[in-house]
Amino acid sequence: MGKIEWAMWANEQALAAGLIYATGGIVGVAGQFRGWQFAAFGIAAGVFVCLLEYPRSKRAKGTSVERTGQYCFTACVKAFGPLTRNYYIRAFLHAALCVPGGFMLATVLGSVCLAIASLIYLSAAIHGEHWEPILPRTEPPKRVGESIKEPPQNPPPRPPPELRRKKVDNLETAAYDNPMSVTSNE
Amino acid sequence: MSVALKSWSVNEGPKHLIMVVWVAVNVFLFWRSFMLYFSGSQYYYLHQMLGLGLCISRASASVLNLNCSLVLLPMCRLLLSFLRGSQRVTSRRVRRLLDKSKTFHVACGVTICVFSVVHVCAHLVNMVSFSVRYSEDFPALNVAQYRGQDPRVLIISTVPGVTGVLLVLVLFLMFTASSYSIRVSNYEIFWYTHNLFIVFYIILMVHVVGGALKYQSNVEAHPPGCMHSNLSSGSRTNHRAAGEKGEELLGGPQMVCQEEARFQPHFPQTWLWVSAPLCLYCAERLYRFIRSSAAPVTIVSVVSHPCDVIELRMLKRGFKPRPGQYILLNCPSVSSFENHPFTLTTCPTGTNETFGIHLRVLGDWTSSFSLLLLQQSNSSEILPMMQQRRYPTVHVDGPFGSPSEEVFNYEVSVCVAGGIGVTPFACVLQALFDDWRQYKLRRMYFIWVCRDLQSFYWFADLLCALHERLWRDNRPDYLNVQLYLSNTQGLQSIGEERYRFLSSRLRIGRPKWSLLFQEIGRANQIKRVGVFCCGPKGISKALHTLCNSNTHSGTAFEYNKESFS
Repeated sequence: MGKIEWAMWANEQALAAGLIYATGGIVGVAGQFRGWQFAAFGIAAGVFVCLLEYPRSKRAKGTSVERTGQYCFTACVKAFGPLTRNYYIRAFLHAALCVPGGFMLATVLGSVCLAIASLIYLSAAIHGEHWEPILPRTEPPKRVGESIKEPPQNPPPRPPPELRRKKVDNLETAAYDNPMSVTSNE
Repeated sequence: MSVALKSWSVNEGPKHLIMVVWVAVNVFLFWRSFMLYFSGSQYYYLHQMLGLGLCISRASASVLNLNCSLVLLPMCRLLLSFLRGSQRVTSRRVRRLLDKSKTFHVACGVTICVFSVVHVCAHLVNMVSFSVRYSEDFPALNVAQYRGQDPRVLIISTVPGVTGVLLVLVLFLMFTASSYSIRVSNYEIFWYTHNLFIVFYIILMVHVVGGALKYQSNVEAHPPGCMHSNLSSGSRTNHRAAGEKGEELLGGPQMVCQEEARFQPHFPQTWLWVSAPLCLYCAERLYRFIRSSAAPVTIVSVVSHPCDVIELRMLKRGFKPRPGQYILLNCPSVSSFENHPFTLTTCPTGTNETFGIHLRVLGDWTSSFSLLLLQQSNSSEILPMMQQRRYPTVHVDGPFGSPSEEVFNYEVSVCVAGGIGVTPFACVLQALFDDWRQYKLRRMYFIWVCRDLQSFYWFADLLCALHERLWRDNRPDYLNVQLYLSNTQGLQSIGEERYRFLSSRLRIGRPKWSLLFQEIGRANQIKRVGVFCCGPKGISKALHTLCNSNTHSGTAFEYNKESFS
């Protein structure tokens, strides 16, 4: 088994867990269950986790597949610098966010899923991974035919004019006789 | 325009028809369950207690039953290969549907996830209702032990509750590891979590045993909403809920209950739905495991080709694949549980019993495997069987069918390959070289796009030999080869004299598909042309669009795509 990038899986899990957390919160608030304040917190925490986890990290080796429209989220998450780069911080943040969900019926599942995601992030952090933003390629792709825009500066080397003059009686060189003179000194 | 409609209906029609039928069956099941719980008389009291949550949860459960049973069927690969191969039993239209089996599996899986969310939310509401609307009249109906019991305790103390939570967690693990990016980058995570399906199904079987929801078993003797003659106080206790807008008889005669209502839990219907596909799938996995470990595979030769490609020739007794099929290779010395798919490039024939694959060294498994193979053989000679070098043991699982098997069943076929995607077509070309007369195929267009010139040397000998054979047999128009080199820098010509056939057909740059299709359409009017693509997504998308929109010359192009992960 080669090197597994745990962070990729943790990212998918955290995104799904955030959605489950938010859905459970909506059910709790809409049904006015007991402790619905925790459900309201669950909605906010779920949405926050989704926004944080939406931009995928750049892979250490290989091509990274972006999520659609993730560039604006990447810019926001990148702005926090080392707070979002480090996976230890993310693991502890998720662990902290999932605790209040356990107190309320509808958000229990969401908090358990977020706890699992937090554990996988911890494993990723222990393996030394960190978050890298996927930035669009800045250098322009090579244009085909760019070399023809730069014509040669010097004429090609030619023999002296005496040898260039055509000998008409010689049959072979007569084949290369130009119909009109192309040089000024002929 | 009429041809484009014909092309579209041939290419997309059966797929969309199956999709419509499947959605219709799901909607029907949902509606039927919903109405049963909403207005069925045996659920009258339960519905009073739980409300809409009961109906939604049971309706989503019946949709889940259907999809949990259907999701296993597209993964029975041996069964599908058998159906594909039995050409007298199934028509070509049905065989083309088998190409889409993985898409169907994914659709059922997504439906399971969505309806699980609905089911869980509805049951959360039910838990609260069980607790808040604890019924003193019918104590047998209750799940809570007293009014106002904390619903979280209900989850932990009942069998359906605990198993339900476990099911959600297993489904969460399986679903999050199945996205495209994880499958492409870390296939092992996907594979190991997806094999948790057996845990999922076992817990599912236990989940439905709980018996939390009960139906009334004596509806005739105790019609719901009847009057209960209370002997002690003389007043009539009416079983209808207070404040209910009775559309029932306000002034009509009230029925008298002859006996107390009796409640009984259901028979777990899920067992009927799920057990047959589960047994079929497990039996197939067991059979594949036994078959692959029983017959030993001997590696006959290892040949190293340019651009990191290794050709492996093997021998296995009783192995009879058809051209275009693929196998799963397992090498315990590299990794005990990983199985990697490789298309066969040579099938066993009467004269030569070996079969071969071409594998490209790209990831960690292939790198380790190639190191094990190449350190044993420094040259590419084939030793006689007595002096076998000690190659690592491999297990071969398969063969499994793929869309490329259909190349022989069209009169005209267009085979487009990108890079290493040429492997299924190489096997087809080999089969044509052995005997092209036995097949229905009359003309084959072979288009191979590569990034590197050296890649064409993998099958240069085969192409030249086939061309020569067809010329000798007086069929020069049978095979049309076009090679494209998409990399415009670097070395651009095949110099060797014996590959002159190829060097004159080599073009620099990417192919223009619309021109190609026009040319093929004009040369093969009023025919059905099979288009086979095995390559990167860009090429397959372009070809798919062209197949659906072609309006020239009455030719119908049928699109078949080979999918890799």
